[in-house]
Amino acid sequence: MKSKSMFPKVVMDMFWIQMTWALGFLGIMLIVNIIKIGRTLLGNDSVDNYYVAVFIAANIFMLVIGIISTSFLPHYVENGVTRKDYFKGGLLAAVGLSVIIPIIAFFVAAIERLIVTNLTSITFGDTDLNSVFQEIPDVGGIGDIISTIVQSVIFTPYVDPGSNWVLGMAVFSLNIFLYYLLGWLISASFYRFDTPGGLGSIVIALVLLMLGDTLLRVAIDLPVLESLAAINSLPAGVAVLGLLFIVIVSIWMIRLLTKTVSIKM
Amino acid sequence: MSVKAENLGLSYGNHMVLKDITFELSSKKIYGLLGRNGAGKTSLLSTLASFRQPSSGSITIDGEIPFENPLIMQQIALMYDKGYKDETDNIKSMLQDLQRYRPHFDMDYAEYLIGRFKLDKKKAIKKFSKGMQSAVNVVIGLASRAPITIFDEVYLGMDAPSRDIFYKELLEDQQEHPRIIILSTHLVSEMDYLFDEVIILNKGEIILQEEYDSLVSKGASITGKSELVDDFVQSKTQLHVQQLGDTKSVMIYGSLSDEERKTAMDKGLETGPVSLHDLFIHLTKEDDR
Repeated sequence: MKSKSMFPKVVMDMFWIQMTWALGFLGIMLIVNIIKIGRTLLGNDSVDNYYVAVFIAANIFMLVIGIISTSFLPHYVENGVTRKDYFKGGLLAAVGLSVIIPIIAFFVAAIERLIVTNLTSITFGDTDLNSVFQEIPDVGGIGDIISTIVQSVIFTPYVDPGSNWVLGMAVFSLNIFLYYLLGWLISASFYRFDTPGGLGSIVIALVLLMLGDTLLRVAIDLPVLESLAAINSLPAGVAVLGLLFIVIVSIWMIRLLTKTVSIKM
Repeated sequence: MSVKAENLGLSYGNHMVLKDITFELSSKKIYGLLGRNGAGKTSLLSTLASFRQPSSGSITIDGEIPFENPLIMQQIALMYDKGYKDETDNIKSMLQDLQRYRPHFDMDYAEYLIGRFKLDKKKAIKKFSKGMQSAVNVVIGLASRAPITIFDEVYLGMDAPSRDIFYKELLEDQQEHPRIIILSTHLVSEMDYLFDEVIILNKGEIILQEEYDSLVSKGASITGKSELVDDFVQSKTQLHVQQLGDTKSVMIYGSLSDEERKTAMDKGLETGPVSLHDLFIHLTKEDDR
């Protein structure tokens, strides 16, 4: 009887399938970006560089493929792969994606910048995503909660890779990884508990997202929303630990949900 | 490999679907799992294949619990009435993907079966008809050559000629590569010749596990002149009566003694085995009293 562990195959399979989707996403983003550059040539003002554009959209992309990743579970169990191997494989594939997407975005942006600045007079807007965040006033009440959520999604903590290459990429990776995990968490809950439990998991995911987002802001010394100002007093080291804790809690919950889940036929 | 279930129970919430099931499958043969709708066949099979965990009791395969056991899960294939409405791959690339997870997969044999079922190798599987998608499941199930192969109503939607191909290929491959095969089915009269052994599940309990030959000898059919047949069977449990003109054929439950056979012969009555179909209906009959 063969005794080879299956999870390396799961890692490869899930990584490559999702990487193909990621390349599609990155390709579309590039086309959009090139069209924008074209419009700029016709007289519009500055254009976001590709890296920033991908940074903004990648959250949602990772959330969506995180949601889809639960659909691999029945596929694998039906083919004799344990839930544990699926979990380990899916997790490592997600780490791989989260690392590689920022790297691709960074290099494509660098090449694009090189070509465009040499051939045209276009200047890339020095987008400071974080300043936009500060300008939004606190609304108060329920509106405040909603605006906090929306801002967490749209204005993810951003570090310019030009200023700190490693930190910039690390923050990008961490961010999209968390989004993937939360998407996975939500779909795993729907698979395990049907609708009510699934909806509950969306609330949990949003709380984790807001906490993670705020802790990351504290850790890299960005402004924090007033409603969550209490966290701001934490030292950066503690914030990093807290962020790590949120990632681990998300991973742990996904494992709990899928550990003994019944496969639907 | 040998499969052993001991006091196995499964419940969905408060609803018990399997009650205290104990059985053993120890030889490489074809087992027919019969049961009426809702008897718990699929629940039992999905527990066997680690799709779900039992609520009580245990299933062991070669003495080990199969659930989340990578060595054992690789050896079990459960094929069911699975649709492929989202499968954009063609059958070839899907099989290439699957064979990496199935240690005994035989791609040449899979190709042969694809030819037998006349499946289009280039077409996306989601564009296949229902019956063709069922044939895909049959191809995967047979070509995986898993030591424990389970087909749960896998033929749904397949036309009669395709089902016939399935039965033929199943028997042929079983001869060359014997394994434990479990066929769960409603088509008792069509598939009975495939079974080496029969297990009947009724309302979550196993009411019978027996070799096919000894099972069908538990009843008999008596054919002959109407009044002679009536006379002969009046003290027996009758399962099924057929009449054509003056000739009557009655299926009875309970085996005939040698003496009874002799009497029947003397009276010019013909005796034969009972059909599994009639036996199955009789054994799982709802109690109307």
